[in-house]
Amino acid sequence: MNYDRPGLLDRLAAEYVFGTMTGPVRRRFERLRLTVPSAEAAAVAWESRSAGLALAVPPAMPSPGLWNAIDWSTGGAGAETVAKPGAWWTWIAPVAGLVFGVVATVGVVRMLPSAAVPVDEIVQARGTLPASYVGILTDASGAAVAIASSTRHGRTMSLKVLKPIEAPPGKLLQLWALPKDGEPFPLGVVPREGKAAFEMADTSERLLAGVPRLAVSVESAPVGPGSTPDGFILTGHCVKLW
Amino acid sequence: MAAPQDLADLIARVALGDRQAFRRLYDATAPSLLGVALRILRDRGRAEDVIQEAFVGVWHRAGSYRAAASAPMTWLTAVVRNRALDALRSDARHDVDPLVDDEDETMDVEDDRPDPLGLLTQAADTLAIRACLETIDGSQRQCLALAYYHGLTHAEMAAHLGSPIGSVKGWLRRGLEKLRRCLERAK
Repeated sequence: MNYDRPGLLDRLAAEYVFGTMTGPVRRRFERLRLTVPSAEAAAVAWESRSAGLALAVPPAMPSPGLWNAIDWSTGGAGAETVAKPGAWWTWIAPVAGLVFGVVATVGVVRMLPSAAVPVDEIVQARGTLPASYVGILTDASGAAVAIASSTRHGRTMSLKVLKPIEAPPGKLLQLWALPKDGEPFPLGVVPREGKAAFEMADTSERLLAGVPRLAVSVESAPVGPGSTPDGFILTGHCVKLW
Repeated sequence: MAAPQDLADLIARVALGDRQAFRRLYDATAPSLLGVALRILRDRGRAEDVIQEAFVGVWHRAGSYRAAASAPMTWLTAVVRNRALDALRSDARHDVDPLVDDEDETMDVEDDRPDPLGLLTQAADTLAIRACLETIDGSQRQCLALAYYHGLTHAEMAAHLGSPIGSVKGWLRRGLEKLRRCLERAK
């Protein structure tokens, strides 16, 4: 494409900044920004011009754990944590920032094939079909902390905790499904270490087909349908693998 | 919201590895930035993932911020918007194409976000360019708002508005030209 055409780069920059480009076109323009100074200048000009439009967007308070996750990911190790004493997540700081995992499950499976193997082992040991739905709950550094897996038409959710999850005495770790549309719903209880399994209310195909993410919260007792989680200490993507 | 100079100073200190400045920058800007990401992605978990990635990026690349080129909030908003749009497109790539799968469903997906046109009008009021915005044709304004606040592609806008994609492209292009003049007046 001849980017010297008058006005072309400016038009592309406007569409890039306003967000109408599809993924591949966005990536092409991003490469252009890096290599053609006038493309970068046009994009920055549109970013500046349009910045005022964001003023009308209502702010949203981040979850308390978000800063911890950022702090951990940047090597802060919770040093700057400003938790008020007694806040629910103060005790979580020593747990290596087990909050809001960011690595996509598929990425983890690809990067850590050894982490995916145990899932297979679990189900093979149980004499069932290979896992169909798999959720990998990661910590802020991207390391897998726990794996949840279930056969597509089965009701058994198998869990394997890869590194012990710390929680206050008397509390339990509750696994939640976070549907694409709708409120989180509880699935069952996650062990602090080792392996476990629980029966779900329905088959994973029916429960998890519209669930892109799983999460774990700390609760005083197992929660029933209709409950709402207080806050999550682990999250991860849930994908249908086989 | 902190003053731009304060934010620029914080970013400069973050570039030197000052964690306290990083925390202050986060406190001052994360709610606004999360609002922007949430508007585009609609899902709090994904929006917070985007904010996390954006701030981790800011920590590592604060040194690349050029105060002369962009105001601090402009830079941060652009970082977050670009990551949110990338996440939105990445999701779309994995979804069944809703336009092919079920045309009606695309229109019917429940959207609890406030009307984007209302946000555009509100922004114009804040920037004192309301009169100028109102000289822009209604369809063009609608396209600008759907693009900026919800990150819709041309095809998604066409489906949303029930109009041919060619018309949508034309509205958007003419709308952007006019909006540019309005926004430049706001400076």
